[in-house]
Amino acid sequence: MVEHFFEGLTYLPVQRALAACILCGLSCSLLSVFIVLMRLPLIGVSMSHAALAGAVIGTLVGFNPVACGFVLCLAVAGILGPVSDRSRMAPENMLGIFFSFLMGVAFLGMGILTRTKAGALSLMWGNLLSLSRRDLVLLSVITAVLLVFILLFFKEIRAVLFHRKLAASSGVPERAVYYTLLLLTGAVVSSNLSTVGGLLIFALLIQPGATALQLAYDLKIFFLVSAAAGIAACVAGLLISYVFDLPSGASVVLVATGIFALAYALSPKRLRRRPHSEEPAL
Amino acid sequence: MTHAPVIELDGVSVRKSNCALLDGIGLRVSRNEFVGIIGPNGAGKTTLLNVVAGFEKFDGRLRLFGRAESWKRTRATRMRVGYVPQSFEIDPSFPILAIEAVLTGVYGRTGLFRSPGEPERRRAVELMEMMRIAHLASRPLGHLSGGERQKVSLARAIIQRPEILLLDEPTSNLDIAVQMEVLNLIADLYERESMAVLYITHDFNLLPKCMRRAVFVNRGRIVFDGGIDRALTGPMLGGLFDCPLETFERNGRRFVSFG
Repeated sequence: MVEHFFEGLTYLPVQRALAACILCGLSCSLLSVFIVLMRLPLIGVSMSHAALAGAVIGTLVGFNPVACGFVLCLAVAGILGPVSDRSRMAPENMLGIFFSFLMGVAFLGMGILTRTKAGALSLMWGNLLSLSRRDLVLLSVITAVLLVFILLFFKEIRAVLFHRKLAASSGVPERAVYYTLLLLTGAVVSSNLSTVGGLLIFALLIQPGATALQLAYDLKIFFLVSAAAGIAACVAGLLISYVFDLPSGASVVLVATGIFALAYALSPKRLRRRPHSEEPAL
Repeated sequence: MTHAPVIELDGVSVRKSNCALLDGIGLRVSRNEFVGIIGPNGAGKTTLLNVVAGFEKFDGRLRLFGRAESWKRTRATRMRVGYVPQSFEIDPSFPILAIEAVLTGVYGRTGLFRSPGEPERRRAVELMEMMRIAHLASRPLGHLSGGERQKVSLARAIIQRPEILLLDEPTSNLDIAVQMEVLNLIADLYERESMAVLYITHDFNLLPKCMRRAVFVNRGRIVFDGGIDRALTGPMLGGLFDCPLETFERNGRRFVSFG
């Protein structure tokens, strides 16, 4: 059955799907480190709803829905940081407000829309086997930008993830780093909408980072574990979906959950704490 | 010998939703001065510290090291102002070791595209040895106790080589023995490094001996600025906190209790 997959690799759509899986796994898992450590789990779902709202608006006014989704996603990422800083609201509360507002906009738009909603809705599900060359180029460029940003500003990212205020006090450009990470999240989510779709990308933005949190105390290893977990989930998910003829997005997410469950069960951090929890109650 | 002021505030106000958190504050602090900022909850002490640190927008004039500053700071100015927050919680699983947390203090000084080198690492170890936490250098920060984390926080600020050190209730939430230890470390550091120190505290029974000046803040205004001996009296403190307080001396130290 696996041979069937390798045979399929001679076809362009399957080659593109595999490349997109690797890029999607890498980009989402790198961002997952930032999302898990800064406790911003709602960011993925907010961004994907921004993309949906943008796509619906695009369809309503007759523009390309994917391009409109991409632009609105970036716009939300761009204003999220400054707005939450200025309003002194916790970013996760601000994300909740953005998320519900954008969902309202998207649903309102779909209610008004008399034409087909397929163009907008396709962003929520994604389709690995119908990727265009342009989709793949966009995903490659954004993954490369993210990777270069992390490599160049690793120590600044570490300081910001540790404590934003302390990072600022020691002269680290923390706002620039934090806002750039938010913008890159918008870019990664919107460029991955065609692959796993807006609904399931949420899982890939959380699970690889949560997996690394079970295993690593060193931030460099944390990034590597997260990246490995993300890529493994995407490639294995694609393989399973191809071999067993299952939906690809769902397979990827279920494999990612399996990897997390394994890491949780074998976590040295959790196992080390166990002796204390087994102390007899007084 | 009088030193030039390194902190000068003139008519500094901070307003939020028509409420004055600071109301026309004026304050001068010289190099090598150790100033206690004292006042009840909500008086504006932390806001004052945040203005000096560059975390808070404000109206009025602020000069640091003789240069006019807004809340937006250059990297060079930020590096000269160290900040130690109240003890903070951290997820035990968070991927940062104690020595890495100390080294984040030099990230601004090393600049972009460069990592801290061997001299910075040696200095971090030296500071951790001084604070008796060198043996914890390779432990995850989240595995340290509150007192050990506060020493890491102090080392992080000192490795920055600040000329102004801002301490926001650094001994809060620590047990009495650790409070004493952290306090002695702060006094040692003050003697070694040439710094102006602003120290927010509520605990009059645990004041560093080097604190010779007290500034009382109440309702966003400075209501007293003078020597610690004049400040630490029953009537002065009772007036500030609006409750009967009295002071007594034992072994050359002054203590405060309910009157």
